[in-house]
Amino acid sequence: MASVTLEHVEKIYDNKVKAVHDFNLQIKDKEFVVFVGPSGCGKSTTLRMIAGLEDISAGTLKIGDRVVNDVEPKDRDIAMVFQNYALYPHITVYENLAFSLRLRKMNNEEIHKRVTQAAEILGITEYLARKPKQLSGGQRQRVAIGRAIVREPAVFLMDEPLSNLDAKLRNQMRAEIILLRKRIDTTFIYVTHDQTEAMTLGDRIVIMKDGFIQQVGTPQEVFDTPRNLFVAGFIGSPQMNFLQAKLTRKGDAYAVEVQGITVPLEARHCAILAKKNIQPMDVTLGVRPEHTSIRFDDSTNAIEAQVMVNEMMGSELHLHVITAAGDQVILRHPTVDLTDEQRANLVYGKKIYFNFPGKVMHLFDPKTEESLLNLD
Amino acid sequence: MSKQNQIPEVDIVVDEKAGVIREVKDERKLRSKSGHERRVNTAIYVILVLMSVIWLAPFVFLVFQSFRSYALESGGMVNYLLPKTWSLDNYRWLLSGESNFIRWYGNTLFIAIFCAAIQTVMVLSVSYALSRLRFKGRKLIMNTVLVLGLFPGFLTMITLYFLLKQLGLTQSGAIPGLILIYCASSGMGYYISKGYFDTIPKSLDESARIDGATRFQVFKKIIMPLAKPIVIYTVLMAFMAPWGDYVFASYVAFGSEPNYNVAVGLYRWVNVNDYQGYFTRFCAGGVLVAVPITILFMCLQKYYVEGVTGGAVKG
Repeated sequence: MASVTLEHVEKIYDNKVKAVHDFNLQIKDKEFVVFVGPSGCGKSTTLRMIAGLEDISAGTLKIGDRVVNDVEPKDRDIAMVFQNYALYPHITVYENLAFSLRLRKMNNEEIHKRVTQAAEILGITEYLARKPKQLSGGQRQRVAIGRAIVREPAVFLMDEPLSNLDAKLRNQMRAEIILLRKRIDTTFIYVTHDQTEAMTLGDRIVIMKDGFIQQVGTPQEVFDTPRNLFVAGFIGSPQMNFLQAKLTRKGDAYAVEVQGITVPLEARHCAILAKKNIQPMDVTLGVRPEHTSIRFDDSTNAIEAQVMVNEMMGSELHLHVITAAGDQVILRHPTVDLTDEQRANLVYGKKIYFNFPGKVMHLFDPKTEESLLNLD
Repeated sequence: MSKQNQIPEVDIVVDEKAGVIREVKDERKLRSKSGHERRVNTAIYVILVLMSVIWLAPFVFLVFQSFRSYALESGGMVNYLLPKTWSLDNYRWLLSGESNFIRWYGNTLFIAIFCAAIQTVMVLSVSYALSRLRFKGRKLIMNTVLVLGLFPGFLTMITLYFLLKQLGLTQSGAIPGLILIYCASSGMGYYISKGYFDTIPKSLDESARIDGATRFQVFKKIIMPLAKPIVIYTVLMAFMAPWGDYVFASYVAFGSEPNYNVAVGLYRWVNVNDYQGYFTRFCAGGVLVAVPITILFMCLQKYYVEGVTGGAVKG
């Protein structure tokens, strides 16, 4: 159990490529932090620097109160789960779990106790005598986690641990990691490219792109108030819709004109814009698919669109539509609200209308791509 | 009309059970195809048999000669293949101590085992370092060594001889001298084992290092057990080169008979000594030289093949 502090941490590779820029983060003791971002964003590199598998080019890394920049991985009191499990193929599951303990010259009794305990937690007791080759993907993943648990490390690092599993198993293991976390209650740093994993697992999420931190916050924060266009597009599925729009101002009241309709902003947002003294300008409007409502014939203050693709997800529909202005928009609608006839009618070419209330709108400066609704 | 002719002739039936349309091949065609296959196979086997006869003939000849009675028949070349009297005369003489054979055999075995040990350690550590560590000049070293390795070893023969002579490692000092020559450049043979190490995922090393292992412990406890085939391959190669070497051994030990290795000693019997009196003995010596290598290969064959192919096909 320990906090992890990164101050101005940078990674520059031998070929002068800068993978991580000025990374600042304070991870609290027993916190579950998820690094998320597209591939090549520097999330794994940062994790590997914390693990000691990559040199830190600049900045300071502290685990607890100790600066560990130049400390060997084995002396950092961390454990790591790898994407490809990295089980030792030539020894049994039991020996895989015991490996680190044996290197620490722990006595056999204690080793046995810890290994059986970890195996029990993960439900792999019956596989202890097997070799990793004889296990399925999910079982191997459990062994990999078990190998980290027996260490009772101060910090638990996980590098895309679920990305080699199939979708069903991934969901199951995700739930198990949440339970595991409750059980062993230590500091977790988890790397993934999957925003769903990030949202469901993390106490806090660190969203990265091109080696820069884009936003740090709780899942709710990054979902509700994305700091910039990238975060807005990355978090949430299906992706947020972006439309070109005009911001208008009358005193302290703001409204957005988009595709022929005018939507007033709610007072909370107006206050922020007024405080920043934002003048009428072109903006990028962001609206999440689930925040839109579909109208079948009521065109008042609604945007007209044609259905292109109708994805039936069971409990909800994902409608890909194209507006009269030619923008593609995704609308997400619960199926329970639709009559059979309406559902049957939502086919290619069908004309519908949609709109959204002011409070769900996200506004971004098209030039800086920063959110206009953030106060700071 | 012409278009119709282009349609291949196949029978199509509807398989109602499976609900699909199937192409049914003409049974006559099937039979003729298997006939064709059989002919090709026969041809291949004939060629293979011919090749193995050509390959095996010298060995069979050698073995037959070695069993020809020294007491009752000629010890030299004869114009018949099968010995008239089978006997172990030649072997008895070789192992009796009348000749230097046992000493030469011992010299060779000593050199080969010693080299195998040193070379294996050198090759494996160099390959592991080149496979796992990243340092300045790594690529340059690898390429230079590869190019240097393309030159035949005997180019340096004369220089090496004078160097060894200055160190007193020729003639009576030939055995340590030869060990030095064989082992000196052994790290250069890193190529195949590096290829094998490259196939072992790096995350195993990383995982072990996080688990608390030092670099050497990773090498010893994780990499070595996984690289068993390549270790065996390396040992075999390192053993065989000095075991069968003639070129270096002949000039380093030149003139000092007790320090010859088997190849040099045997050759000098037939070449310098009495050719007629030593030929069958030479053959018996040859058979004895082949024995340990054959046993080694038989036992380690499985790993040997794995080692060579494992390194070649990078996963």
